[in-house]
Amino acid sequence: MKSNNKFIKIAVPVLAVLLSFLVGAILIACIGGNPAQAYQYLFKGAFGNLSNFGETVVKATPLIFTGLAATFAYKCGVFNLGAEGQFVMGACASIFVSTTFTGLNGVSLLIVSLLSGVIAGGAWGYIPGILKITRGLNEMIVSIMLNYIAILFMGFLYTGPFRDGNLPQTAAVTAKLARFVGNTRIHAGIILALVLALVLYYFLFYTSKGFQLRAVGLNQTASQFNGYPVKKLMLLSFIISGAIAGLGGSVELHGTQFRLMAGFGDGYGFDGVAIALIGQLNPVGTVVVAYLFAVLRAGATTMQVGTGLPTSVIDIIQALVIIFAVAGSAFVNLPHIRQFLANLSSKKAEEV
Amino acid sequence: MEVFLNWNFIQELILSTIRMATPILIVALAELYSERAGMVNIGLDGIMAFGALIGFLVSYSTGQPLLGVLAGAVGGIVINSVYAFCTIHLGAEQIVYGMAINIFAPAIASFLYKIKFGISSSLAQATLMQEMPIPVLSSIPVIGKLLFSHTPIIYLAYLLVPLSYVFFSKTKAGLNYKAVGEFPKAAETMGIPVVRTKYLACMICGALAGIGGAYLTTCYISTYSDGVVSGRGFIALSAVIFGRWMPGGVLLAALLFGFTDALQIRLQVLNSSTPYQLLAMIPYLCTLFVLAFFGIKKAGPAANGRPYFREER
Repeated sequence: MKSNNKFIKIAVPVLAVLLSFLVGAILIACIGGNPAQAYQYLFKGAFGNLSNFGETVVKATPLIFTGLAATFAYKCGVFNLGAEGQFVMGACASIFVSTTFTGLNGVSLLIVSLLSGVIAGGAWGYIPGILKITRGLNEMIVSIMLNYIAILFMGFLYTGPFRDGNLPQTAAVTAKLARFVGNTRIHAGIILALVLALVLYYFLFYTSKGFQLRAVGLNQTASQFNGYPVKKLMLLSFIISGAIAGLGGSVELHGTQFRLMAGFGDGYGFDGVAIALIGQLNPVGTVVVAYLFAVLRAGATTMQVGTGLPTSVIDIIQALVIIFAVAGSAFVNLPHIRQFLANLSSKKAEEV
Repeated sequence: MEVFLNWNFIQELILSTIRMATPILIVALAELYSERAGMVNIGLDGIMAFGALIGFLVSYSTGQPLLGVLAGAVGGIVINSVYAFCTIHLGAEQIVYGMAINIFAPAIASFLYKIKFGISSSLAQATLMQEMPIPVLSSIPVIGKLLFSHTPIIYLAYLLVPLSYVFFSKTKAGLNYKAVGEFPKAAETMGIPVVRTKYLACMICGALAGIGGAYLTTCYISTYSDGVVSGRGFIALSAVIFGRWMPGGVLLAALLFGFTDALQIRLQVLNSSTPYQLLAMIPYLCTLFVLAFFGIKKAGPAANGRPYFREER
């Protein structure tokens, strides 16, 4: 039964991806394009050569962070839709540190700056968490409102106090994350992201605190009876989730963008939620799906140049994946379908 | 202070409060109808975006904003039927699926817009809906201009409030409808078609949220752009909570949020020295504070958000 479960958990998202590509192909054909050619350009744009591959990794890095943020919160049964705000606040804190503490040298400045991102993100995640456990507020609404506030705040920063020159943007940070693969823009952030994913995986599935956290996510009442500090764990998961997203924002600033400007972090929060859900709320799955999303994004531009199809075709495929994956997960959990699948696997076992 | 206390400013403020509250009110009513049947739909933002696009496209190509609004309603129903099927029949978690709609619907809207107007388009403009002053009433001094010379959609939105109140509190159909959100099992036993009611709720929700989105592109700004909804769906969601799941309460909440939005715009016009981002935060901050002080979780329908399986005990 266990292995069967695992199989389904992988099969559902894979099928969802394939189905989305199929629907995407139909869509492309409908608007007069050639699906095979379009997908060829898509994958060429994503894997064609080293620098293309590098771009997919660069694009995947922030998505891994926001995806992990969403996964971590959801594991404890709270919905963090505010990863975008936390991401942005993390970057804002880093800009503040980078431009204020000019006395520090390269590496130490980088570390302080990344830490400030973690703290700012965590603080931004603390707000919906504390409002949920003390006032019973809907954390989704609170975190969404905080997203808009954070984005406006960032806008205030790059047009106001931290503006540099004529364009509405901040000065570039001086401390940059190291780039280590040839000519590509791949930076040390990806290593941070992967290590973080493994740490979270270990924490959630192999430590007692992680177990308590997941227990709260599965059944609050039972956890309460077991004496787990339910509210504290919820708050904690919100803070950590925010901190992860904040670190993501800081890494994106120091590794890829270097400046704050309009559109920084745009859409990463919701994409993170989508990635977490398609990745079946597993940190490793999250990394895989984040990479898939990055492939779609990096390839989309090449496809647009090569075939003239708008990149939003790819947005639709991305959105379809989540529609199919969530519906699929619900479908296999329907009582009679679950029974059917269980029968199927027990028959197989008998045959063996 | 003189700038704020003159009559012209106050009049403009009241007028734009009524205008800004309308989309929030319509969409909050959409959510009210949905949640009263136990369907929490956080995909309002997405449905609005889709309604806004469809409304814009139709009004752009026919020159009839009213047709655009109708088309927006149809578009909303289409998108929300995906949500309805997956949550009611497949038993997907409502919150999660609402989120999926939030990602899915704007992507489609943006795609359709680009198909129609090309990849690098300048902003296409459509005609805005004309105001339709109500004959006798609009000639009353002061009040006539403030309350009775608006677009038809605004009248519709405010008319829906007393109608919804009567429906939910005074009619048998309304009480049956509410029973589905409170205790579906008991409702089913009494012969109320639970699944059908839930589908109906999703249709109403989709239609109203679509109209709310279409209002933005046919009555408020004459063009569509990605992000035109800018969180109004979520503000509407909080209006339902703040309004304690009652039509009158929802109206008050929508007016309050509309007021903050109007105030923010008026202030931007008046003092250009303050960075506009700080003023633009007002509606969101206000939503947060209002929720923090008045939002209490335990007031909604009892079976809100729970999946319903007929066969399950």
